[in-house]
Amino acid sequence: MEEYLSRILYIDLSSKRSWVEDRSELFEDRIGGLGVAVKLYSEICKLNSDPFDPENPLVFTVGPLNGLYPCISKTVAVFKSPVTGTYGESHAGGRLSMAIRMAGYGAIVILGYSDKLLLIDIEDSKVCFREAKSLQGLSSLEVEERLRTHTRVMESIVSIGLAGERLCFYASANVDRYNYFGRLGLGAILGSKNIKALRIRGSGSIKPKDAESYKKLFEKIYRRIVETDAMAKYHYTGTPANIMVLNEIGALPTRNFRESRFEHAEDISGERVGEFLLERKVSCPLCPIGCMHIAKLRLEFAKGYEYEPIDIYYNYESMYALGTNLGLKKPEDILKLIYTANFYGFDTMLLGNILAWMTEAYESGLISDSDTNGLKLSWGDIDSYIEAVRRIAYGEGSLYVYAAQGLKQLVDIYGGRDYAMQIAGNGIPGYHTGYASILGFLVASRHSHNSNAGYDIDQQALKRKLNDEELIDRIIEEEDWRNILVSLVACMFARRIYSPDVVVDALRTVGFEYNLDDLMDVGRDVYIEIYRIKSIEGFDPRKIYIPKRLFETPSASGILSEERFRKLLDMYMERRFKSSSI
Amino acid sequence: MPARIRLAHPERCIGCMNCIFACSRELYGGAISLSKSALKISYDTPSRKFIVSICPGCVDAPCVNACPYKALAEQPGGGPILVNPEKCRSCETRDCINACILAVLFWDDERKTPIICTQCGECAKYCPHEVIVYREV
Repeated sequence: MEEYLSRILYIDLSSKRSWVEDRSELFEDRIGGLGVAVKLYSEICKLNSDPFDPENPLVFTVGPLNGLYPCISKTVAVFKSPVTGTYGESHAGGRLSMAIRMAGYGAIVILGYSDKLLLIDIEDSKVCFREAKSLQGLSSLEVEERLRTHTRVMESIVSIGLAGERLCFYASANVDRYNYFGRLGLGAILGSKNIKALRIRGSGSIKPKDAESYKKLFEKIYRRIVETDAMAKYHYTGTPANIMVLNEIGALPTRNFRESRFEHAEDISGERVGEFLLERKVSCPLCPIGCMHIAKLRLEFAKGYEYEPIDIYYNYESMYALGTNLGLKKPEDILKLIYTANFYGFDTMLLGNILAWMTEAYESGLISDSDTNGLKLSWGDIDSYIEAVRRIAYGEGSLYVYAAQGLKQLVDIYGGRDYAMQIAGNGIPGYHTGYASILGFLVASRHSHNSNAGYDIDQQALKRKLNDEELIDRIIEEEDWRNILVSLVACMFARRIYSPDVVVDALRTVGFEYNLDDLMDVGRDVYIEIYRIKSIEGFDPRKIYIPKRLFETPSASGILSEERFRKLLDMYMERRFKSSSI
Repeated sequence: MPARIRLAHPERCIGCMNCIFACSRELYGGAISLSKSALKISYDTPSRKFIVSICPGCVDAPCVNACPYKALAEQPGGGPILVNPEKCRSCETRDCINACILAVLFWDDERKTPIICTQCGECAKYCPHEVIVYREV
């Protein structure tokens, strides 16, 4: 194992102390990334406590392949989520994973709470607690510009906007301007600990154990990435290519999942935005793809051709949640709303589900003008959506204060749960593909469509029918394998490159001897361990309400029946836990 | 003529830094490093662009001319080559570094020598968009 990987940096905000512990046994057992993060989190977390309890830790981890191989560029964060009320996990790209490794660590664990707003400044072995009053209220985009230095060390900046400072439950954390820990409220956790930003600078080198076989394998993987079409989608159109694909099969959630096709899909498609608004693509270190598609827009701020230039990172999830799902038919409007959400620092997906619920609730009379403070929400009205986001960020009026606490909270106060598109608190992603999508999202340990790709399994089943057992086994296998990929920590876009044999070979070049069976065991153990934490805290997928709307609006697999869904869930529980004690 | 690295399409850079890491792998035995490489990418905030800086391998190279100890000589085709590293170790003025107005000659604090671009072309080999190319000039 690389000598620095097993070093864990602990930072205690309450005592303003930091120290390093060597935990090589953890990395030997659990590889790195997710596997190690879950262990570190479970050692310290207070079960059944409030997510904002200062004693709960916030854990960042990287893995043995970070900083050495292309597209292995993610960092895992584990924390207690205010969105789901239990174990939370989020991943981000950017320069963070490489900065952590070059600073000489495999993980950073943040404990306690600071009474003043802080910048945690980490430069190799030095950790400084610096008062950050001057950054208060700024957006992440502004923080990034103010803190960025131009040096020959790997530098990464993680920061929160106003939503995080104000403990909006689904606040995101920005990484290096174009990347996000988007889901489950990591931004709120940073806010609750009074951290405005972390700046990590690493000046060290990362060395493989076996340089010759490393160079050979790097060359092979690199050529496969740039010379085959395995990652072409992410390079060319980016994930917004999904808009036309999902519209075609009738799986594109539109106006709060009332429809599965959007009549303006072509106008807002990834291809259209690519043609007219895309300015450039940006990449994570060592990844030649450049999946971050950056559009440029100008916002008029005064008459006389006065424009403010803005750049917007867009992807499918944001374009669905803050686009089709709100009936926005102009790509410029969707990009403006994404920019607004990122300016304040929200999870764009859950925010979109909330705005869609508010629109429908207002339209049906469930909430009135007095609730919205006169804001007339309607499908496709960009100005009212931008204003609603601003009010949520500032907490202006009780509807907006509740909206900052998530969709579950809104439903508890106002009702309308049949069309509140959340499962276990988290906003439902943009794939109304069929049973596997819903089931996968419900049972996923971090309630993400990326955990087990149920949406993809549904789409495969449209081509070749799967029986129930096959569908469930695919969900289980996919999640176990992805737990390995996020222990490395790989980017999911590179999953077709990092097949099991490539992962085994790559791990060998850094001194990890695993065979495929060992890896799958680790993947399963990690899932079970997370499930155990969640179930102690009261999580039981069989007791989670699934919005009726999902069983009313036709999916790509036709109308779904709740009864069949419940049968599939029972079957999943049986097959998933047959050999364990839960 | 020997081949040289050149900036062909600097506007196309996506910031992946594969060039830098290909360089550190080559010069430092497989290591991945920003500071142990002979080129740099800076991120220019006002224009929000990546600015790539490489050693152009000057003929009649100012860095070579600046060395008071003749520790550097000129490679065939231009650019510096380190001929006497021993002499670098006692150097305190680092005139070679200061002579490079592009600021693309860097100092290695551990080896106590400048980090010399050998014009091997590894950086160009891993550039996905021909920002850097390797060709005969």
